[in-house]
Amino acid sequence: MTLDSTRNLTYSLGKRFHNQWRKGNAMAVTRRQFLIGGGVAVAAMTTGLAACGSNSESGGSADGSADLQFAWWGNEVRNKNTDAAIAAYMKANPNVKISGQPGEFATYWDKLATQTAGNTAPDIIQMDMAYIAEYGSRGALLDLGEGGADVSKFAEGTVDSGKIDGKLVGLNAGINTPTILANPAVFEKAKMDLPDDTTWTWDQAKEVGAELTSKVGGGVFGMSSIFNDATLSAFLRQHGKELFVDKGLGFEAADVVPWFEMQVAYEKAKAIPSAAAVSEEANKPLDQSGLVTSKAGMAMFWSNQVEAVNAASGGEMAILRYPSIAGKATERKAWYKAGQLFSVSARTKNPDASVAFVNWLVNSPEAAAINLAERGIPANTEIAASIQSKLSPAQKSVAKFIADIKPELAETPIAPPPGGGTLAAVMTRYQTDVLFGRTSPADAATKFVDELKSNLTG
Amino acid sequence: MSAISELSHIKVTKAKSPEERLARRKEATRDNKAGYLFLLPWLVGLVVITIGPMIASLYLSFTNYSLIQAPEWTGLANYARMLDDARLHHSLKVTFIYVFVSVPLQLILALGIALLLDKGMRGLALYRSIFYLPSMLGGSVAIALLWRQMFGTDGIVNQILRLFGLEATTGWISDPKYALGTIILLHIWTFGSPMVIFLAGLRQIPGMYYEAASVDGATRWVRFTQITLPLLSPIIFFNLVLQIIGAFQSFTQAFVVSNGTGGPSDSTLFYTLYLYQRGFGQFQMGYAAAMAWLLVVIVGVLTAINFFASKYWVFYDD
Repeated sequence: MTLDSTRNLTYSLGKRFHNQWRKGNAMAVTRRQFLIGGGVAVAAMTTGLAACGSNSESGGSADGSADLQFAWWGNEVRNKNTDAAIAAYMKANPNVKISGQPGEFATYWDKLATQTAGNTAPDIIQMDMAYIAEYGSRGALLDLGEGGADVSKFAEGTVDSGKIDGKLVGLNAGINTPTILANPAVFEKAKMDLPDDTTWTWDQAKEVGAELTSKVGGGVFGMSSIFNDATLSAFLRQHGKELFVDKGLGFEAADVVPWFEMQVAYEKAKAIPSAAAVSEEANKPLDQSGLVTSKAGMAMFWSNQVEAVNAASGGEMAILRYPSIAGKATERKAWYKAGQLFSVSARTKNPDASVAFVNWLVNSPEAAAINLAERGIPANTEIAASIQSKLSPAQKSVAKFIADIKPELAETPIAPPPGGGTLAAVMTRYQTDVLFGRTSPADAATKFVDELKSNLTG
Repeated sequence: MSAISELSHIKVTKAKSPEERLARRKEATRDNKAGYLFLLPWLVGLVVITIGPMIASLYLSFTNYSLIQAPEWTGLANYARMLDDARLHHSLKVTFIYVFVSVPLQLILALGIALLLDKGMRGLALYRSIFYLPSMLGGSVAIALLWRQMFGTDGIVNQILRLFGLEATTGWISDPKYALGTIILLHIWTFGSPMVIFLAGLRQIPGMYYEAASVDGATRWVRFTQITLPLLSPIIFFNLVLQIIGAFQSFTQAFVVSNGTGGPSDSTLFYTLYLYQRGFGQFQMGYAAAMAWLLVVIVGVLTAINFFASKYWVFYDD
């Protein structure tokens, strides 16, 4: 057999080698040389490692010079903009060196967690609301309030989202708000007008969706499933609840039973596609989503995604308010969310230089002129006004929408406590179960709440 | 045929006098030193990349470790918690179904194709490469992504079914009833490496056995069950052990196909995927480490059972 013959070959080779070994001097010298060589190699390796170690130690000094790492996730536009912003800052501050670490959202968090564990976290960290409490409450983020961050010009309701346990650990990098995007082309096909989003209720939204489905035909649905963590938050707030209250869950099983029931009703009415299509849609990238590919007339998106949706679809989406129970936009409990935040690692060697850079990012017209509204409309109102004329049509309509909904804003939701970042995934799982008819809405609600509670304590 | 029996032959040669034995031992130490020196690069890798992290993970499994804060000793709490973790039990169920359905089917397919290719057809190298190709691609992210497209509600699979007039609207990866089956199919499709090993094994079975059997009037089936299978059993055993261990560690396919969620409805929540969610999604690295050790124990026990059972069906033609 091959295995056998290989073994025999190995064995005989070994024997021959062994015999040569025993022959003595000639070989012995080679062996000694080999040993010396090995020793040198090991020594070189050790010094190499030591050298690496001392490299990463380098950093701040008394003269204000600093070597900073800045990590963010994003897309090509953001990477280009952020690189340009870094270059502009380094030109203005020649003794500060900033290296960028661009990344993808999905892998960004694994990397950041590992870096934080290994004490090599980047100095400046682009943060998300879902994770800020994980890091902030565990002391991994610097208190920017104490560090000298300037939020004096920030719009109302945009500062608090970065506060964990009373400390400001993240600066709003751009205002975001949940929206329902509607494709006017699909409505035209159905010969329907866009709905009046200032008065529509959840029931009416379902009817609009169902009507679109039946009038357009050809496998096009009125809407993609609009049921995610953002709309659940809206739904609960309209019922006087919240996703989260301080350190805990803000709702009980009974509060989400109607939430699950509503989805079944939407599916029955064919306002949204079948269970399989809904669960498939959840995993699709933006450019393959139902709304972008004209397979759906409406979908839920965040306001800072409007430009990407328009670019991918080649059309211009109408930005609508999400529905309310009362049928009054002023009672729909809207809020501004931080699209992302800028945080500084608590273990940075250069807290002053890091905070200075973050301050520049959010408060300087130069940085804003480069980033524009790609991360969301700037929270600093003066800065937002300064870039108004430079915005793209999509960004202009978003800026207008964000200004328009000001009277509809309710209290800003608090950041999810540690473990709360799992809400969206857990909810999706139970929603899938309900839509496939594997669980009743009541059972799903109980299990959903139980699992979340155990995630929050664990 | 067997490595073990051959090794035992080598061992039995004994030294005769005490002097001879002493000389032998001296020589052995000197040789050992050289041997270890040659092994050094591998040993360094083993200690730094495998054993070190394993010890660290064993320690972490007894702690509450969020990655962000220093680990905090909690004794057996993580292991105790596993008893009540319904998702963990579910992930074990999913993984066991996956392993015990996909491995036998994959090996049967691999053996079947190997038998076909063993007929000595023209262009064997080409066919072998073609069949081997999925093995090289199957574990990759690109293929998992492609699979996701192919088995979507409007994917190519449903489109083909529609050509036959079927109302194909099944979401092969988005319906909890079919998602795991689709991933199992992907795994079976990567039958190339066991196939190549089977093919090598088949080539080593002396033709005279078959000739003799034909002379005695044995049918094809009898020749297969009485000659091929017994003589191939060490290879089957080898493939079985490796594939089971490999299947338990499957991660990429489920991760990519379900976008890391193990969905729909946890139907593809592999053990490793759940471990990853706990460690990196929920910052429970201590719990994830404990889960990893449970997996080590499970795979270890299964391998031990495999080796024990092999005594009864693996035939070494010495």
